[in-house]
Amino acid sequence: MFCGFQMKNPQRSPTNPGSVRSRFTQVFLQSLLRIRKHSPASSSSSSSLGEFLKRCHRVKVAAYVSMARAAGTRRAWSRAMLWRVRHDAHRHRLLQGRCSRSSSRERSPGKKKRRTKKKKKRRDDQEHGFGNAEKLQKLVPGGEAMDFSCLLDETAHYIKCLVTQVKVMRSIADFYSL
Amino acid sequence: MDAPIVNESSFSAANPSAYSLAEIWPPSGDPGIVGSGGPRAGNLDGSAEESTVTEQSGSGRKRKDANSEDESSKRVSSSCVLGSDLNNSNGAKRTKIAGSRDENGGSKVEVEANSVACNKLSAEQSAKPSEPPKQDYIHVRARRGQATDNHSLAERARREKISERMKTLQDLVPGCNKIIGKALVLDEIINYIQSLQHQVEFLSMKLEAVNSRMDMSPALDGFVAKDLMSQPFDGTGMMFASQAARDYMQGSQAQPDWLHMQTGGGFKRET
Repeated sequence: MFCGFQMKNPQRSPTNPGSVRSRFTQVFLQSLLRIRKHSPASSSSSSSLGEFLKRCHRVKVAAYVSMARAAGTRRAWSRAMLWRVRHDAHRHRLLQGRCSRSSSRERSPGKKKRRTKKKKKRRDDQEHGFGNAEKLQKLVPGGEAMDFSCLLDETAHYIKCLVTQVKVMRSIADFYSL
Repeated sequence: MDAPIVNESSFSAANPSAYSLAEIWPPSGDPGIVGSGGPRAGNLDGSAEESTVTEQSGSGRKRKDANSEDESSKRVSSSCVLGSDLNNSNGAKRTKIAGSRDENGGSKVEVEANSVACNKLSAEQSAKPSEPPKQDYIHVRARRGQATDNHSLAERARREKISERMKTLQDLVPGCNKIIGKALVLDEIINYIQSLQHQVEFLSMKLEAVNSRMDMSPALDGFVAKDLMSQPFDGTGMMFASQAARDYMQGSQAQPDWLHMQTGGGFKRET
């Protein structure tokens, strides 16, 4: 599976999928270990859905962060994602400090991200696919402040990294759930 | 001289007149080749139905125009433009390409409109512009039937860049090669990204369940080593490493049933 994946993109020299994959694997596994250490020891007993979802969200964020770090800061989407996570973690902590814990169990800080990160919502009515370009801008992190051609470029790299991420995560999950 | 008008009709490449034009072209300024020596006015409609005659007359006219203008590389471009006109004398559309040509004071960007037949001319004309001095601006070859001012050039370059990137995206997204049309391809890309993100979320849930269920640090090093060696995962390789993991897993099986769903099923859920 991994050999096939590596052979698929041999010509993409600046973004070597092999190196991205290995970096991602390393960072992600470390973060998983860290999460497991920090989570309460009686994790199996805490069967409430909210707690479970919160932990899942933490894993997801860890996955994205490790992917963004593995991709490097040369890419706009990875920078945007790291910025977004850092900003939202900070804001999340602020909210938790102020309000009670139940209200801060907002499982989608993504909505907050989009509200804050709209610094330059440049309305890109370029001729081709301008309706879809907005949706694409929302999907790709940091896509709001990009013109269409840059957006396409970042999308390509983002898709490659997402595919890597999915493959690695799936292999980890399969490996440990046997 | 009235402004020459370019005919915009689609030029069938199988036109043998193109070849005759190419033969006519190298001997420059020779009116003797012009059979009819006919219509000198910019009116191309009056040309005969025989395309060769038209072209001959056109080429003669073109050369005479070139001589009359007496400017260096513009001449070549203008002749090329006219050549393309004349190849499609029975054209449907006409656009004024020559606005730029006539206004050229020698310091503007020049564009040569190439037709399909004119590509052969251009090969010869590229030898010709060696006579005129190189100008500071980039000579861009515009495609046939397209406007040639600066804004359109930039537009065209941008569009080509976008289409090139769309092609790379199409290679990345499976099943996108068959789809034609930018909007549909973009839809497909958006769906694909959404499905990938859903898969990440699903896998994170699965990993969280796995994480909470067992102690995986002994097996972790084996996993990391194997993965970093980029070996394909085969069952036998995993057996040894997971044996230790399985010993730990004998205990709690408190895993919700819906987590046993395959990721592929999760994907199908969305579509």
